Amino acid sequence: MTRWARITAFMIVLLIPSLDALGELRFPPPEFESGYQFPQTTSPPALPAIHEYIDAAVLLAALLLATYLILKRRSRRAIFALMLFALLYFGFWRDGCICPIGAIQNVTLTIFDSSYAIPLTAGIFFVLPLVFTLFVGRTFCGAVCPLGAIQDAVLIHPVVVPRWLESGLRLMAYTYLGAAVLFAAIGNAFLICRYDPFVGFFRLSGNWNVLIIGASLLLIGLFIGRPYCRFLCPYGVLLRQMSRLSKWRVTITPNECIKCRLCEGACPFGAIREPTGDWPQGEYKIAKRRLALFLLLLPVLVAAGGWGGYTLKERLARVHPRVRTAERVYLEETGRVEGTTNASDAFRATGRTTEELYQEATAIRDRFAIGGTLLGGFLGLVVAGKLVALSVRRRRSEYEADRASCFACGRCYQYCPKERERWKKNKGVVAGR
Amino acid sequence: MTQATEQTRTRDNGVWYWTARNTTIVAAVFSAVFTALLVTNLIGSGVIQPWRENRLAALKLRIQKEPANQELVSQVRRLDLKIRRDRIWRLDFARKATHMLLGSVVVLLVAGGIAGKMKKELPRPQHQPDIGLMQMQEAKQARLAVVGALAVLVLSGLLLAMSRWVRFAQPEDSGPAFATAEEMRQQWPRFRGPAGAGISAYSNIPTQWNGKTGEGILWKSKVPLPGRNSPVVWKDRIFMSGADPNKRQVYCFDAATGQLLWTGDVPTVPLPKDKELNVMEDTGYAPSTMATEGRRVYAIFPTGDVAGFDFQGRRLWHRNLGLPDSSYGYASSLETYEKLVLIQFDQGDGKEGKSRFIALDGQSGKIAWEAKRETPNSWTTPIVVDIAGRPQLITVAKPFVISYNPANGAELWRAECVGGDVAPSPIYAGGLVIAIEPYSQVVAVKPTGQGNVTKTHVVWHMEDSGPDICSPVSDGRYVYTLESGGLLLCCNVEDGKKLYEMDLKEECRASPGIVDDKLYLLDLKGIMHIAQIGPEYKEIATCELGEECFASPAFADGRIYLRGAEHLYCIGKAP
Repeated sequence: MTRWARITAFMIVLLIPSLDALGELRFPPPEFESGYQFPQTTSPPALPAIHEYIDAAVLLAALLLATYLILKRRSRRAIFALMLFALLYFGFWRDGCICPIGAIQNVTLTIFDSSYAIPLTAGIFFVLPLVFTLFVGRTFCGAVCPLGAIQDAVLIHPVVVPRWLESGLRLMAYTYLGAAVLFAAIGNAFLICRYDPFVGFFRLSGNWNVLIIGASLLLIGLFIGRPYCRFLCPYGVLLRQMSRLSKWRVTITPNECIKCRLCEGACPFGAIREPTGDWPQGEYKIAKRRLALFLLLLPVLVAAGGWGGYTLKERLARVHPRVRTAERVYLEETGRVEGTTNASDAFRATGRTTEELYQEATAIRDRFAIGGTLLGGFLGLVVAGKLVALSVRRRRSEYEADRASCFACGRCYQYCPKERERWKKNKGVVAGR
Repeated sequence: MTQATEQTRTRDNGVWYWTARNTTIVAAVFSAVFTALLVTNLIGSGVIQPWRENRLAALKLRIQKEPANQELVSQVRRLDLKIRRDRIWRLDFARKATHMLLGSVVVLLVAGGIAGKMKKELPRPQHQPDIGLMQMQEAKQARLAVVGALAVLVLSGLLLAMSRWVRFAQPEDSGPAFATAEEMRQQWPRFRGPAGAGISAYSNIPTQWNGKTGEGILWKSKVPLPGRNSPVVWKDRIFMSGADPNKRQVYCFDAATGQLLWTGDVPTVPLPKDKELNVMEDTGYAPSTMATEGRRVYAIFPTGDVAGFDFQGRRLWHRNLGLPDSSYGYASSLETYEKLVLIQFDQGDGKEGKSRFIALDGQSGKIAWEAKRETPNSWTTPIVVDIAGRPQLITVAKPFVISYNPANGAELWRAECVGGDVAPSPIYAGGLVIAIEPYSQVVAVKPTGQGNVTKTHVVWHMEDSGPDICSPVSDGRYVYTLESGGLLLCCNVEDGKKLYEMDLKEECRASPGIVDDKLYLLDLKGIMHIAQIGPEYKEIATCELGEECFASPAFADGRIYLRGAEHLYCIGKAP
């Protein structure tokens, strides 16, 4: 660890109490004796809808600009400047809400709950980055996402994460995505928003536990580039798949790769892939058998995952506040616990019967039987799919940015001698003018 | 020339590096200073502020004792102002320091990043022996990592599977929601026991005790808040309520030791500006006796607050029925039927349509049924009695004795036969419903009719007695009435023919009770007059408690529970 990195890490840790200090200083209204009438509590009016359209317009403009800067201008400095703007606007100015990552839940709820109408902005925020990624790769991640930006900004001393470890860790993002969709659909919980690790920093206030998670990610982010984006981001999972299909994408070299290998260590996110070498003797047959085995294993893992998710339905259902309340009320009613909780008191104040509550909780558990099965099946499919993908050998003749993993940050450009040649040429053109 | 240019460039880079490095150091120092200030501020908020607040609270308590001490009042005001100013200052300081700290950290990151970049070395790729083999090994390791991640997932699933979850038992597993009629008969579940008859199910009740000497007193416990309501007994627990103008409480005492097992608070809602709670001193703030159906226990107060508790003291529900418009303060006690809580909520003058009979679900407090009544405010307690296999809920309030189906509130019959401000509750004895019109008469109605039975089912009137507070009692042959002045009257159940009257020469508020062949008459001074049941008054014993008694006695197996003005007494023989 460098000296700077140590100092920075120390400072970020010390920043946490300051955030909390803001939230702690609350006090009751004064006790006037002079017959003073307290003003009526009012709620601030909702922000006009125009703000939402402005946000959507800013997102579109930022994506267009990012695409131009990444693919055409190929300027890391300009990309970094746009990233800082996105961090300030979508992060600190708009308090990190709304973001495409959280919009996954809005979209899910729209599908599963007919009474829920998705806000137009949420829909736009969900769709626009996906559409851009489908055509031009992950330009959203590189220059527009505030969560990516805050991690990118603190990356001081990148450490290489072995590619094999990255493959394993990436499963966390799939699990997170599956759980977030399941709980948004039937669990009455927006996990992604609840555990957004950086929103506390954007708002300078927030839940202590989540702030600690955020600070830890930033600390890790000093050495491991964008840990949240790489290993946790559920939206990143979708973007990865879209990016695989993208027509245009980031290329390390502006024209042809001379295989100088200077760019090998350029990417702090481990997204640069080297040309493939020759197959070792006898490996081909083994690889074929392995692939066949994993293909056969695919339905088995899906079925096993589905069964596992089904058996956990009661436990998974506990995410739903109604189920937790029902369980608590039941324990209280049967004298297995002492005292009441705010939730059980609030339930009793509604005047509903416990039978109604238990029935509702049982219905939610039944929904989790289906949801848990789907989640387990999905995770089984992901694992099997990954094993299959890792058993397929793809041919590469030059150094290139991995379509799925490249965040389009533009760091690799400057490492390519061909790119430097282009800069010089462009400079000459400008000087000649 | 070229060498000179290189040297200049190196020197320039050195200057930039020096600037970036020193900026980083300055930013780090700034960050450390702001962090220290914020931490100090946080400690100040957490240590100094609570100390001042405690002092303020102590001063406020002193003001309650010395309201005229103006110096104390201004001291409180000064301290309060200081606390508020300090808090606002700290809040403002924290906000500003946080922004400064953020700024410093940003400068630190930018300058540190630039300095780090300037020291960065150019890449020097090393020779790669066999890229094909390396990639193959990498793919193998990646597959193992995925399998490892799968193992972690499975392990997490197993850990999750080991966590507990609650299986909601079917209603038949958790037992019935109310006690059986036979169980109810063995207990003292409401005002004046089962069906409000005032008759003990046990004959082994003490006939001798003395509260002053402690003779025959098993235990005596202080009741936290006053109340005129009577004890309710369910097995090893005794329930009562108490209240003052500000608090309403429910108490559960241990029948074995007299220990107060738990206290349950009953909240209320703020009164409308144009209304205030007015109760007579004789009524008090907790006049209504609680009721239980053997699973839960219920209480009602003159504020219109009604609440259900389980036997462990957990408040299951609470609802405010609205402040009852009652001349002397609402005082009707509760009755139960199966899992319903029955509330006679008579109020107003009877013309405004305010009076209702309300049945609440005991488990939830939700209204199960409601019946409108054209009766004015009354203070009687309804009874549920089984008459020829049909449960009837019988109420008395001017001018009617009305019977309802307790399951759904449907009216069965009514007789227009009582008047005045009715407080004595009805009883069912000898096949007749006995009701009282205060200062006027005792009326007997045959409860077998349908519709208005005034002309057909009123069996007799007896105009020699008309207690205003105490409810009557009957062994099925004789009816005993006790006036608040102490005049005891006995008449035949069959025809209402007066047999005797006896002046106890003491004020009485408690309703009389019957144990076996004995009549228990408790006067206001706490003296129990025990007399033989029969057509003539024959006193067997008098037992003194030594404390004023407004509440009626509760009889249990071998015991009597008496609520004095301040204490609860358990009278019985030590096991």
